[in-house]
Amino acid sequence: MSPADGPAATPEPSGVLRPHAEVEFAHELAALAALDDRPRPGNWRLSPAAVVTYLMGGTLTDGTVVTPKYIGPRRLIETAVATLATDRALLLLGLPGTAKTWVSEHLAAAISGSSTLLVQGTAGTAEEAIRYGWNYARLLAEGPSPAALVPSPVHRAMEAGSIVRIEELTRLPSDVQDALITVLSEKTLPIPELGSEVQARQGFNLIATANDRDRGVNELSSALRRRFNTVILPTPATVDEEVDIVVRRVAALGAALSLPAQAAPADEIRRVVTVFRELRHGQSDDGRIKLKSPSGTMSTAEAISVVVQGLSMAVHLGDGRLRFDDLLSGIEAAVVRDPVHDTVVWREYLDSLAMR
Amino acid sequence: MPSSARAAHRAADAAAAARVRLLGIRHHGPGSARAVAAALGADPPDIVLIECPADADGVVALAADPEMEPPVALLAYVVDQPERAAFFPFASFSPEWVAIRWALEHGVPVRCIDLPARTMLAARSLGTSSVLSADQRPVDPIAELAAAAGYDDAERWWEDVVEHQLDPVVGPAAADAPFVAVGEAMAAVRAVVEPLGEPTDELERWREAHLRSGIRRALADGCSNIAVVCGAWHVPALERASDPALARRDAAALRGLPRAKVALTWVPWTHRRLASRLGYGAGVTAPGWYHHLHRHAGPDVIARWFAEVARVLRAADYPVSAADVVEATRLAHALAVVRDRPLAGLSEVDDAARAALGAGGDAPMRLISSELVVGAHIGSVPASTPMVPLARSLAAEQQRCRMKPTSDERLVELDLRGQLDRSRSHLLHRVAILGVPWGRVVDGRGSTGTFRETWTVRWEPEHEVRVIEASALGTTLATAAQAALMQRAASAPSISDLSALVEAALLAGLDDVVPSLLDLLVAEAALTSDVLRLMGSVPVLVRTIRYGDVRATNAEQLHEVVAAMMVRITAGLVPACAALDDDTASAVADQITEVQSALSLLADQQMAATWRDALRDLVERSRVHGLVQGLATRVLADTGVLVADDLERRVSLALSPAVVPHEAAAFVEGFVGGSGAVLVHDTALRAVVDRWLCSLPADAFTGVLPLLRRTFGAFAPAERRALGERLRRGERSGSSLVEALDAERVAAGLDTLALLLGAQR
Repeated sequence: MSPADGPAATPEPSGVLRPHAEVEFAHELAALAALDDRPRPGNWRLSPAAVVTYLMGGTLTDGTVVTPKYIGPRRLIETAVATLATDRALLLLGLPGTAKTWVSEHLAAAISGSSTLLVQGTAGTAEEAIRYGWNYARLLAEGPSPAALVPSPVHRAMEAGSIVRIEELTRLPSDVQDALITVLSEKTLPIPELGSEVQARQGFNLIATANDRDRGVNELSSALRRRFNTVILPTPATVDEEVDIVVRRVAALGAALSLPAQAAPADEIRRVVTVFRELRHGQSDDGRIKLKSPSGTMSTAEAISVVVQGLSMAVHLGDGRLRFDDLLSGIEAAVVRDPVHDTVVWREYLDSLAMR
Repeated sequence: MPSSARAAHRAADAAAAARVRLLGIRHHGPGSARAVAAALGADPPDIVLIECPADADGVVALAADPEMEPPVALLAYVVDQPERAAFFPFASFSPEWVAIRWALEHGVPVRCIDLPARTMLAARSLGTSSVLSADQRPVDPIAELAAAAGYDDAERWWEDVVEHQLDPVVGPAAADAPFVAVGEAMAAVRAVVEPLGEPTDELERWREAHLRSGIRRALADGCSNIAVVCGAWHVPALERASDPALARRDAAALRGLPRAKVALTWVPWTHRRLASRLGYGAGVTAPGWYHHLHRHAGPDVIARWFAEVARVLRAADYPVSAADVVEATRLAHALAVVRDRPLAGLSEVDDAARAALGAGGDAPMRLISSELVVGAHIGSVPASTPMVPLARSLAAEQQRCRMKPTSDERLVELDLRGQLDRSRSHLLHRVAILGVPWGRVVDGRGSTGTFRETWTVRWEPEHEVRVIEASALGTTLATAAQAALMQRAASAPSISDLSALVEAALLAGLDDVVPSLLDLLVAEAALTSDVLRLMGSVPVLVRTIRYGDVRATNAEQLHEVVAAMMVRITAGLVPACAALDDDTASAVADQITEVQSALSLLADQQMAATWRDALRDLVERSRVHGLVQGLATRVLADTGVLVADDLERRVSLALSPAVVPHEAAAFVEGFVGGSGAVLVHDTALRAVVDRWLCSLPADAFTGVLPLLRRTFGAFAPAERRALGERLRRGERSGSSLVEALDAERVAAGLDTLALLLGAQR
């Protein structure tokens, strides 16, 4: 993990499968920064309003087109950005595939110029990932010293005054979660071994994501929950909005995988999106037929991966044209998570589809 | 020279020296209200003119009364047709209200100059205008201005440009500056919308002519500093008020206008009603928020709002700390910065509350919206407000019973054994009799109890109109309700309607009217030949007798009426049940069930005996519908009149092969009546029915199958199963219950049973 280079770094996507947001959109960030004449909170690279523009898209006064990163209600993004400018941390909640990680990455890139300070929450994440660890060779040789300390991403973000991200906050064990409380309320990280502490600099804040559907998660303690403002990212409101999201993401991913952009016809994508929406909502799009919902979440992210997979099959193994049949197996794989229950759901869905 | 023209000339002379300040406002806009207050305070006028019906002048002074608390509305109604009414609501943040209050406090005359309500209401009935509201205009001018400024939300544009001007500029001329700008903008909009230079709607033309003549009158009276508070829309039309040519045209337009005899008064109003876009609502989406802005104008307005939000959320068991309030306030300010607004508005505080206090969810937001953003405020008017006598009586009763009307729905549980609750019940019932839907009886906890009554009550402002409508009936609540009952009794021909009225009178404690209603009832009962109707009214009357003592009503005479009616019913029952079709038979069966349960409530041996005799007669007759006969048989069996062999004989007779299968099936339906228990436990009866079923020829069976399906389908599943098992085991004789008993096990249970009952074994 390299320290933050900032948007000044030249975009160098060749060879990298998925460049960081601040690299991929460096020119947009640079243009926004150049034109931004509003006050910026300490250590922010852009003013809050410019961050919102970066997320929601628009055309700048010098003609630079900023692509929309998030397609959905503007007021949610405004609330998120405003939260990061206050004393509280931001908690992005939502079903899987509602662009929580995506939004947090772009927020960090736009505000701090770096989206790389990241803690991935898993059941095995230890407290060192939040606080600090030790270089044990040094520790044994020299005893506790600043040089023997291995700072965590949170630690580094506090020192640098930048945004740190925690993915899947609710997957962290509860005791690890609670290590965040001091950081968020006191804005300091005590290091008792050295008798010192790290004090957060201006611009430090934290974006956590969590989904509210997964089972086996560790519910946030109310003490921790109080340190967050919560923004719930909804599933796309309309078919058109969702198709738009899928088309944009497929084009972007397709470019990275060297797939021809025109190979994904919009009407096939619409069919996939419709299937996903109908199964997610448990009723047909015209509201006439009730359907069973599968155990999977049927998120937009899954729809995107189904289309990309179908596309690569069509390009590499077929005649280059995407057909619904290519997609069908991908959809089935997304639907059938539980071999017994979901198979029935899927079969019933196909029957109802045939009837229509 | 006509006097109006002379006045116009005088006005033109005076106008040279006088200043007419047109304060164009947005109705119910808190920022407008603040700007009006600032303008009036900076440069006190010597008269204030308000866009308000001219005939309201007489009641406007009441606004100064300390007991008057907005939201309130001016109510204008046609005296002999009170349902023709119009409301002109005012909230604390309405600019007109602020101007009236300012004028009354500073001893400055205030005058209403809009078209009088007598003309508006008369014009409405002529169909001149379909809609009538305080701020009627052909298009939404604010929306056009906002669109021109690049806003998609007109509300927000107004808030940003006018309402959020927190620090009105200092100095007399400067305080008027926003109004000059608004007037100019409106002139531009009207030039586009009305190419002819005047409103297309006739009523609008009258109104603006009347507004202008009001200004001219003030000029003629020698006022030199005139403040006119009117909707921004009207400002361009009022600018040339002193032009003599226009004065002549206005005088012509206002000649011979329609008029109706109209009364005006103040009535309490509610924030919910202000928020509603329907009916008399003013379409103010957030009256609670505006009220808050108006009341707490100042730097801590947002923090105070969140403190209120926290209070509401805590009351609903959401954990909200003071730190949360601090954070929500910060977030709202940060959002305002992100959105480039001078001050956090409603959408900012909403978003901030959602993220910082509501954990992103919808449920707390709904609560906040209903409790605070709209709010449950209800205004009040002073006792000296002109009221119709009935409304005064109602208010007095409400005070006596401590039942203050509220605008949110409440559940009221009354224990009728208590004096206060009983008078509350009487009050609610009387109001209901007058057709004012203030309260509604609901099935509450233990609704079967005889001393408890559960109501939901909710007062809507338009109920005032209903009260005024009803005021023609009497001057006090009791007399009006009695008159309403007698009026309905006179036009209620059926005996069941009459008995319902008797019940209503007793429930409402209107004992005085009961004798005359009973007289009518007895007369009607003597005349009516319809046994069914008679039977329909018995249950109501019996209920009244039965529960009469709880309510301390005298029910003895009712008992006599019921006895007389029962005589007529028993005499007419058999003929009435002859030759019924299926539908009527089922109605008769229902009535018999009702009367039976009513009589068992009454516990009058003699009456019950005659009733049983009549039923017995019914059972033995031929040519009575099978359903009715079956039911009568069942009732007699249940009351122990028909027993064992007699019963079996009777059933077997009804199910003989000679009886048409359809009739027999109807008998079975009436007899078992939805419960199979009798067939499960009575082996002999089961055998009879079983035999009959088995003997049916194939085609006849198909014919009666739907009926049988209906009968047996109504049994509880457990009954059906038990019945099927018994039949399969072929238990055709003897009591299965006794045979199944194991003497040893019974003996084991008997000890416990004896212990429970306290008996010696």
